[in-house]
Amino acid sequence: MEVKNEVADGVALYRIVGKIDALTGPDLQAAAGSAINAGSPRIIFDMREVTYISSAGVRVIVLTAKHAKAANGGLAVFGLQPAISEVFEIAGLRTVIPIASDETEARSKLGA
Amino acid sequence: MKHLTLADEIVVLMLRDDTGAIKPARAGSANIAIAGGILMELALLGRIDTDLTSLFIVDPKPVGDEFLDHALQDIAAEPARRSSAWWIERFGFHNGDLSRKVLGRLVEAGILREEDRQFLWMFSRRAYPKNSGREEREAKARLMSVIFDDTLPTPRDTLLLSLADSAGVLDEMLSPEEVRKASKRIAEVIALEEIGRSVQAVESIRREVVAAAANARLS
Repeated sequence: MEVKNEVADGVALYRIVGKIDALTGPDLQAAAGSAINAGSPRIIFDMREVTYISSAGVRVIVLTAKHAKAANGGLAVFGLQPAISEVFEIAGLRTVIPIASDETEARSKLGA
Repeated sequence: MKHLTLADEIVVLMLRDDTGAIKPARAGSANIAIAGGILMELALLGRIDTDLTSLFIVDPKPVGDEFLDHALQDIAAEPARRSSAWWIERFGFHNGDLSRKVLGRLVEAGILREEDRQFLWMFSRRAYPKNSGREEREAKARLMSVIFDDTLPTPRDTLLLSLADSAGVLDEMLSPEEVRKASKRIAEVIALEEIGRSVQAVESIRREVVAAAANARLS
């Protein structure tokens, strides 16, 4: 997994490439956690190039959303591939975090 | 035992205060819940991971708990990738009486004590009363918080809720009206974790098989 991070307009954006699983997830969670702790609790995951997500990856999404909400922010994601979208659907993540079709919508869902 | 695993917690929750035993009718549910709890604990410890089709080893390093390490070795020794439901069935149906093993752990840890109790004047039965009951109260408080708070639960509490639901613990903790009101929230939380969903699916099949067998005996 590769992650590129940029902070703009009070939102920390993570462009993720590859797999989110038990091996890679902790790094993503730590990176987003650092941003939240540093005062940027509004987080966006760009998942257009995420090819696989395991249960540990779903856990990272939930924990990051929980952490961000506790800091009065939130997590939004966009660009889900069909296989990833299926996992989100089965896990009911649509009721937990905003899922957007593009970056503009994700920013809007976070009020940015 | 450094802390209670999910398998330990579900047994503590299933133990009845009056008899010091798990309801005989819940023995099958207990084995499935314990099997699920073992897999959940290994997942939370970063030793295994799952997806929609399979369960796989991430790190085969022992966790230092004999009960969990046995399961980890079994998974590592299996040549084919299997689903979490397959492993729940394997551990739940083919590993003897899991609840007896967990009860032994809890006695060793000082959470339960072991007593022989007489019933019907001539029979003796093993009972496992709780020592302080603190562990049960804490687990119940976490479950109530997950069910009735609107915040995102931790993965551990999410998994405990799915075990408690499949093992019938929630029906004992809550009134039918409370269960009905909370059913949407409970279903949403349980959906978050794949192993929790698999435990529910395996338990549902077990109940159907038991019901079919009972109907066959009656007909």
